[in-house]
Amino acid sequence: MSYTKELEAPARPLGVYTRPKGNTGWRDWITTIDHKKIGILYGATAMVFFGIGGLEALLIRLQLATPNGTVLGADTYNRVFTMHGLTMVFMVIMPLAAAFANYLLPLQIGARDVAFPRLNALSFWVFLAGGLFLNMAWLLGDAPDGGWFAYAPNTGVIFSPGHGMDYYAIGLQIMGIASLVSAMNLIVTVLNMRAPGMTLFKMPVLTWMILVVQFLLLFAVPVITVALFLLMFDRNFGANFFNPEMGADPLLWQHLFWIFGHPEVYILILPSFGIVSEVIPTFSRKPLFGYPFMVFSGIAIGFMGWGVWAHHMFVSGIGPISVAAFSVSTMFIAVPTGVKILNWLATMWGGRIRFTTAMLFATGVVSMFTVGGLSGVTHSLAPADTQQTDTYYIVAHFHYVIFGGSLLGIFAGFYFWWPKAFGHLLGEKLGKWNFWLMLIGFNMTFGPMHILGLQGMSRRIDSYSPGFGFEFWNMFASIGAFIITTGVLIFVINVVASARRARHEPPVGPDPWDARSLEWFTPNPTPVHNFDELIQVESLDEFWHRKYGEDEDGRVVRVASAEEVCQDGSATDVHLPSPSYWPIILAAGFPFIGFGLMYTLWLCVPGAVLILMAIYGWIFEPTDDPDGPQGHHDNPSGPDPGEDVPSEGASDAVETAEEAPVG
Amino acid sequence: MIPKLLRMVRLTTLAGGVLLALNGCASDAPLDTLEPQGPISRSIDSLSDPIFLVAGIVFVLIFGATAVIWWKFRDDHSTEEFPHQLHGNFRVEIAWTIGPAVIMAVIAVFALLSHFDLNSEDRQDIVLLVDGEQTSWDPEIVVVGQQWWWEFRYYFDGLDGVDLSDPRHLPPADIVTATQMVIPTGSEIGLSITSRDVIHSFWIPALNGKRDAVPRRISPWKIEADVPGFYFGQCTEFCGLSHARMRMQTVAMTPADFQVWVDEQMQPGVEPTDAAALRGMAVFEGQCARCHAVNGVYTKATEVGADLVANAAPNLTHLMSRTTFAGGIFDLYEPDGSLNRTQLEAWLRNAPAEKPAYAEGRRGMPAMGLSEGQIDDVVAYLQTLGARPDMRVIAATEVE
Amino acid sequence: MAEATAVDHGHGTGTGLSNNKLLMWVFLGSECMLFGGLISTYLIYRSRFAEGPAPGDIFDIPFTSVSSFVLLMSSLTMVLALSALQRGDIRNNRVWLLATALLGSLFIGGQVYEFTTFVREGLGYTTSPFSSAFFTLTGFHGVHVSLGIVMLVSLLISSFRGTLTRERSETVEIVGLYWHFVDVVWIFIFTVIYLVPSPTS
Repeated sequence: MSYTKELEAPARPLGVYTRPKGNTGWRDWITTIDHKKIGILYGATAMVFFGIGGLEALLIRLQLATPNGTVLGADTYNRVFTMHGLTMVFMVIMPLAAAFANYLLPLQIGARDVAFPRLNALSFWVFLAGGLFLNMAWLLGDAPDGGWFAYAPNTGVIFSPGHGMDYYAIGLQIMGIASLVSAMNLIVTVLNMRAPGMTLFKMPVLTWMILVVQFLLLFAVPVITVALFLLMFDRNFGANFFNPEMGADPLLWQHLFWIFGHPEVYILILPSFGIVSEVIPTFSRKPLFGYPFMVFSGIAIGFMGWGVWAHHMFVSGIGPISVAAFSVSTMFIAVPTGVKILNWLATMWGGRIRFTTAMLFATGVVSMFTVGGLSGVTHSLAPADTQQTDTYYIVAHFHYVIFGGSLLGIFAGFYFWWPKAFGHLLGEKLGKWNFWLMLIGFNMTFGPMHILGLQGMSRRIDSYSPGFGFEFWNMFASIGAFIITTGVLIFVINVVASARRARHEPPVGPDPWDARSLEWFTPNPTPVHNFDELIQVESLDEFWHRKYGEDEDGRVVRVASAEEVCQDGSATDVHLPSPSYWPIILAAGFPFIGFGLMYTLWLCVPGAVLILMAIYGWIFEPTDDPDGPQGHHDNPSGPDPGEDVPSEGASDAVETAEEAPVG
Repeated sequence: MIPKLLRMVRLTTLAGGVLLALNGCASDAPLDTLEPQGPISRSIDSLSDPIFLVAGIVFVLIFGATAVIWWKFRDDHSTEEFPHQLHGNFRVEIAWTIGPAVIMAVIAVFALLSHFDLNSEDRQDIVLLVDGEQTSWDPEIVVVGQQWWWEFRYYFDGLDGVDLSDPRHLPPADIVTATQMVIPTGSEIGLSITSRDVIHSFWIPALNGKRDAVPRRISPWKIEADVPGFYFGQCTEFCGLSHARMRMQTVAMTPADFQVWVDEQMQPGVEPTDAAALRGMAVFEGQCARCHAVNGVYTKATEVGADLVANAAPNLTHLMSRTTFAGGIFDLYEPDGSLNRTQLEAWLRNAPAEKPAYAEGRRGMPAMGLSEGQIDDVVAYLQTLGARPDMRVIAATEVE
Repeated sequence: MAEATAVDHGHGTGTGLSNNKLLMWVFLGSECMLFGGLISTYLIYRSRFAEGPAPGDIFDIPFTSVSSFVLLMSSLTMVLALSALQRGDIRNNRVWLLATALLGSLFIGGQVYEFTTFVREGLGYTTSPFSSAFFTLTGFHGVHVSLGIVMLVSLLISSFRGTLTRERSETVEIVGLYWHFVDVVWIFIFTVIYLVPSPTS
């Protein structure tokens, strides 16, 4: 393969370094660098993992439905609960948030794509590689069994022989790379590529929350990276980071893990808060109450989240002064969160509320997160936490905030933005069944866990004896889990049924919800080039203000219809970045390296080759394929990226990104 | 409309139900944190009860507000006009930022007072007869967690000068027992908690919150019972395969009864006279003494250690004075006071089948490969190790 | 390499920095946390040397000081390389890039010598928490320096191919940012590990 020839004649790329043309079908998806497709890939993949994690949850609930359960043996149970946690946190909630961030963030800031589209694709494929790698452990009979929190020394090589915890460490490292790269990409995108006139304080709250999350990821992921490296070195090279017999401090793992782990929970919740902040105003027909406070409280949560990590360690023996400090800081982080709840209620107050499914889910977040937040306040009091920590009371708390907060918010987002992504609405009737079943099932499952915890049921136990009083609520909770499952299945049915129905119905048309932010300028589904022409932004909720003005009495009057304001997607002179297959090839190298580290170093060789080859290909592939079609086409069957005349500011920045990659 | 009302009713009932339950309508829950039985747990409870109430009230307010807002501001299609486009109210938002902050600050004061009290030490010496000599004991017990059982060590000369830095090689103690920690009532007992392998957590909910047992670290904690009784516990830090089956009990006795217990526990093991027991003793010497100590008789485990990663196994000198075995998961006695022979034999026959462990990794008791005859004999020998406790103790500490 | 559109880097961006340069800054922010975690681990473990050598027994401060000076000088040559290219002086750009790479390699050579000496003197990777933390921290730093050298060599290669022109000086600037960061981290590491008085056995 001669690079020299390619460099001397840049207009004639050769062989494998030819850029893929816009294809349809599976090749399109494999090589896409379109943020919208990548968002959909994240969402679909996460929902598959949701099924797997949900199955793991059902197994747990089946085992715990009765005392001395025999559904799972102790060893299997430990693997199942570990994988359930890992799956739900890293392979469901985070990528679902990434789905929304990827799809919506460029649209909400009026850009054509993210700053580094190929890096964006890389993030997805690396995430998929990591998630598949970790789940391969099941197939090889050695899934990790040390809990998602993996406390040392239990996860060291003496107490966790076998490869389970190696899968854990390597799988999370791989997924960490995906998150870190994505964080860098989105930060640069938001800081650099906003539409003309869009100052930071004219950005929608969802964009703000995503931005805060990316900063949290940027600084938190390296810390768990360090922790995982130290664990890998202990397990594989005999290092002494967590070996108390050699003088190490097992609490070091806990500190490193939770310095990551606490910001991580804000990473999990803030995107959902952003979604709720978009949905509630739309369906209350009023602007968000207190935009500046909503933005600042999100930033405050982001900052304060770094100062509370040891509340996960109140009984670990860190000493009363440390505990006191973290107890106080934890109590105060309730304040910015409480502000959000009250502002959402104030948004609804005085409004004219439409109870669409999206609105139901969003309001569900407000109530259910409140429960989780309040139980959180009860654990912030260190003395009380000495009774509560490591019991099912904590399990109740975090499921209320993650399921009741993050997941319900994500479902609100599904129902709200489905038409934007797919051109049709999700059915409202099935949607309501989806919502109520999920809500009822969820409360049935996790509500009683507050009681179980306070009655002394420890966490992470594979079974319990009769005579401790745990039987009734465990059975109740297990039934609730099946109701949740039914609710989720209804969602899946809704997705399929709505797609089918959409084939014989007219397209949904622009702006089905009478919404407020920039993404609704584009037709539904969004054309591949996003905006026909870039929007000049003059205010927050720019889209709304193009449709509505005020009369002399200050009442809202329509000044333009959605059809007049919205673009029609017909622009043909938009230059778009070309697809690439180097991201998936690069990502494919990681599992080889992972298996190589565990089984035989020879396997690292093909992995390293794939990665290095992909890096080279990436750097040297031409920005455009000069053999490609001239002009920008929109196929009736689907979008087709075109290559042509460079266009306005934002896509210049995109082009810049393509031409001078950093080593 | 009806669905919304139903939702209101349903969720209010849930909230109410939770509150009711929280107020302790569950009585058959030996690990209940809401029924404190000692002064320390009561002080924790006196902090958390009002907080639960405050949290419950806030929840009802927020949830109620949501329901009211939903009802009052629903779109009934009576008008197409837009509502007043209020963007915010600076004063109100400042108020509901500062208000909760002030509330939290007040709560923080109470929490900190309770916290520093919880972490303070206020022990009084206990006067005991140890080996016939009057001793002033600064009551501290060394609590050692190990996969998957708890050991309790009593040093009646106090812990000053006792080197606890290596839990796998602890200095010889006056009393070494397992699973059931016996304490006198009416005294604050200090606990020095550590571990020989991974992180565990010591927790007797009725008497105090929990504290982690961290290898090579000593975590100071305390416990106090004011009424004689039997208090159950559970390891509460995930510690591997049999974390669910790592349990303990605290038995609180009057000071007089405690003295009797101390005297009893300080007796060394005696040579049995019964033939079966003698045969069992021979088997014990060959198979069990590698790991288990009987004071004065089989001391290899005390002096050198056990054949396990953590270098220790339960001291069996007074096994019969305990009412549970195998890490607190099996009753040693039937309700009528007879030995739970079936379970004990099953344990001796194949311990890993009764309680998952990593015997091949030298963590946990292996299947010893004993014949049925040997098992009978060993049981006969074990029955000579210690005196059966009072029937009330047996009844109160049933775990199965 | 394709394209050579004279794009005014940073034009039309929200921050005034080009996307590539901003990306490097953002990446370096995350690297601060990476090294922060490793340095914290070292600080906790510097006095836990089990039965092996203690830091105060084994470090050769004069040697490491020379090594540090070499790395510091490489930052100077990096700056000179950039400013040469910005002036259009391709030849000197190559000279200074080469100098930077050589100085960096000299630093790595010093590290390798130092590590092998320590191993001979009884401080291996698995000797104690102190040794594991020391080698991991300095090892990660060394890997970062080595990757930097790879990037410098790539720049040299593209310079010899004629594609590293004045218009593309930002690429050198961005590699320079990385290189200076690696140098600054070393200053922290050197101070924390070597200069702060260490425990002896």
